[in-house]
Amino acid sequence: MTAKQTSESLPILSSLAFPDMLFASIIRSRAARAQNNLLNQPNLPAGYRIIAPSGILAQGLSLVTASGLSVFADKEISYQGEPLGLVVGPDPLLCDELAQTTDSSFEALEPDLGWESFSSSQIAYRKTLVQGDPEKAFEKAANVEKAVYHNGVFDHHYSEPMGALAAWEYDKMAIYCASQWPAHVRDSVAAVLKVPAADIVVKVTELGMALDGRLWLPSLVACQAAIAARLCRRPVKILFSRKEDYLYTSKQARSAVTIKSATDANGQFLALDIKIILNIGAYNPMAEELVNQAMSAITGLYVCPSIRLEAYAVRTNILPLGALGSIGSSHAFFAIEAHINHLASLIQKTPAEIKAVNIISKGHSNFGAEPLESEIPFLRISRKLEQLSDYRRKYASYELVKKRDPGCREGIVRGIALTLGYQTDQSFFESPSMNTYIVEVTLDRNLALSIDTHGAVGSEALRAMWKTTAAGVLSMSENDVHILPPVCNSAIQCGPMTLSRGATIINSLVERASRALQKKRFRETLPITSRAQIRLPHRLAWDSRSLRGQPFSGASWCGTAIEIEIDPLTGEPSPLSVWMVIDAGRIIVYDRAIASLRASILNALNLCIGDEFDPEGSSDDRYLYQRQIKPSSYPAINIEFLESEKASRPRGLGELPFVTLPAAFYSALTQAIGVEPRQLPLRGSEILRLLEAE
Amino acid sequence: MTIDFVLNGKPQKTQIRSGDRLVYVLQKLGDFPSLIPDCLGGNCGRCLVFMDGRLIYSCLTPAFKAKGSSIVTYEGFSATEDCKDIIYGLKQASAFPCNFCRKAKIMMIADLLKRIPLPEETDIMEQMSIVSCPCTDPVSLAKAVLLSAECRNKRKFKRADK
Repeated sequence: MTAKQTSESLPILSSLAFPDMLFASIIRSRAARAQNNLLNQPNLPAGYRIIAPSGILAQGLSLVTASGLSVFADKEISYQGEPLGLVVGPDPLLCDELAQTTDSSFEALEPDLGWESFSSSQIAYRKTLVQGDPEKAFEKAANVEKAVYHNGVFDHHYSEPMGALAAWEYDKMAIYCASQWPAHVRDSVAAVLKVPAADIVVKVTELGMALDGRLWLPSLVACQAAIAARLCRRPVKILFSRKEDYLYTSKQARSAVTIKSATDANGQFLALDIKIILNIGAYNPMAEELVNQAMSAITGLYVCPSIRLEAYAVRTNILPLGALGSIGSSHAFFAIEAHINHLASLIQKTPAEIKAVNIISKGHSNFGAEPLESEIPFLRISRKLEQLSDYRRKYASYELVKKRDPGCREGIVRGIALTLGYQTDQSFFESPSMNTYIVEVTLDRNLALSIDTHGAVGSEALRAMWKTTAAGVLSMSENDVHILPPVCNSAIQCGPMTLSRGATIINSLVERASRALQKKRFRETLPITSRAQIRLPHRLAWDSRSLRGQPFSGASWCGTAIEIEIDPLTGEPSPLSVWMVIDAGRIIVYDRAIASLRASILNALNLCIGDEFDPEGSSDDRYLYQRQIKPSSYPAINIEFLESEKASRPRGLGELPFVTLPAAFYSALTQAIGVEPRQLPLRGSEILRLLEAE
Repeated sequence: MTIDFVLNGKPQKTQIRSGDRLVYVLQKLGDFPSLIPDCLGGNCGRCLVFMDGRLIYSCLTPAFKAKGSSIVTYEGFSATEDCKDIIYGLKQASAFPCNFCRKAKIMMIADLLKRIPLPEETDIMEQMSIVSCPCTDPVSLAKAVLLSAECRNKRKFKRADK
């Protein structure tokens, strides 16, 4: 890569090649749980070798990353498909074949697959919070309801299968991989090679739409490639096949959320008893974050005087499961919105009416937090959304149709739903590595501005946003602003690109650095460089242990309505229209924001209609290309931004569809079929079965 | 067997086996960054080429079918005025497909405009299913197609400059 190359043309890992490059394929475990594992070394053709944990340790390298993850299973196996070693050689197809035929001997153990009832040894993280006196409230309440809501394992079709390339660059090792968190890759590789972090350079390749599925797993694959490159003294590339990527990369965690509510006659919450169980698979370094985000989201929308909330991240012997689209919060929003639908059907009110009496607003608080200082525009969003989608009329009509024609003999199976949600840019991790961001801007002698994000990776829409921001501050043309390719090559800690931090934090750093540069301009000789840095915990009034504080700083608010139709013959749901009303602060590039949201809405809908991944089941090629809405059947999408907030700072919006759409989709589905399946995703055949039972 | 065909205007002669996929044969013949065979099932569209003017998935096409044909990859097509019209349309519509599918989507639009010089929205939506990458907003992409068509027709019929 030349110094002038910009991030507009990031390399694609599949296309990257180096002279004398070798390929590596991962040898995977066949057992879900085993001990005393020993890799059987077969006879290999000349030029091929097996890299096993024993050989790695013998070379003085480590098998454990800086965050405690094992690069290869050594003696104990914790899930089927866990990496045991590598086959390295010049032909990738032969490496794959050899890796699949390489066997290991082990003592198989009974795998732990149960997660809704689990043993204490399976708990990876737990947290309990109590507010008020829930027991007393439940005793006195008129209506007490309890239900369990399940979220399946969602998977996303990544733009490119997982992979990494490690190559020597004189005295440093360069790692090429598509990661949302290059600093994590650098620190992980440094730890396994036992070298200083400054000896590792991470060059980010094109990421595509990662949806938080490329947060920590690329670090493990990068470590595997780096170990192979170190031992073979040649560049080594690992690139999963599509099937391997589908079967062995992290997916959204399974969840079971039990909600017991006490309400008065109007549907106002008097008490909530909530238990969240997240199945994180064999391990997940983000378990704590997932649990905290889910806990924050489930109590974030609605006010209740008495709450008991317990949440668990549970380990099982299946592949690691984690975040997708939103870190933990979509599970929570789905459960609470589904429960409100359930209550609405019991007390003969609309879900919108129940939400209106419970919604959090200025002066309210949960968990002893200080009362909210600023107004949350949920009521305005809700009113606007009802108006845009003609919610009340359609809701009443579909209810009427359902009552008159329970078996849907007339063939009209439609539903409409409206949900509220939010996303914040806050992380519960206290580590500086998760919360530090740096941006450097340099104005060179040709009056061209380059922006260096120190490894933070942005989508096309984000890059355009950063350019517009910098160009606006410095009154220059956007054509003269370039984003440098994300390279992480120093001891600087730069946090991950998640929680829409590109739009909020990086953009604000670009603005700050540009303003600082503007002050130096015409006073100092070119080139001029200016840097802006932030370490988040100092600014966020939010205690991760007690959930006390102002949980909504930097939050974007959103309401989503969706109208769906079910095919009465196949049970397949098809979305007809989607409406979103959003308060995301100042919108810098309006067209890009709308375009980016439309793409996210379609991706979120694809997740809702897609098939569930079955981690305990057998592989099946039909899942390799997931069910997608055909372009000719795309729903009409209507997005509106609240105008009054336009002057404030920009906030994130990319995750809003992933946070709100599953809940809205489920609620509309429930209205359409008249049954509460209490789970997502749902296949057409299951919907048809429920419809016929009704 | 040995087959000969024209690749991006240059005659080629190469040895193939009966089961070879065209995409792999093309990759061996030169540097074609636009060919990133991924799904090998006619979904992702990252192997699209024109064979005798028809858009095909080269991952699904047996290499022997290329015998005597004229094949144009994105690298060959990118030098044409037609390609420049499409890039202009994409920029004007602020439709920026990701680096993985940008070239495939340009080929997809080129094929549509070749068959239907003034496409309607239904034609565009129908054509979009050729490349499955969901990175781009469909409304912007449809707008880009219409702008590209307008630009191309203006150029071909010598109307006002773009």
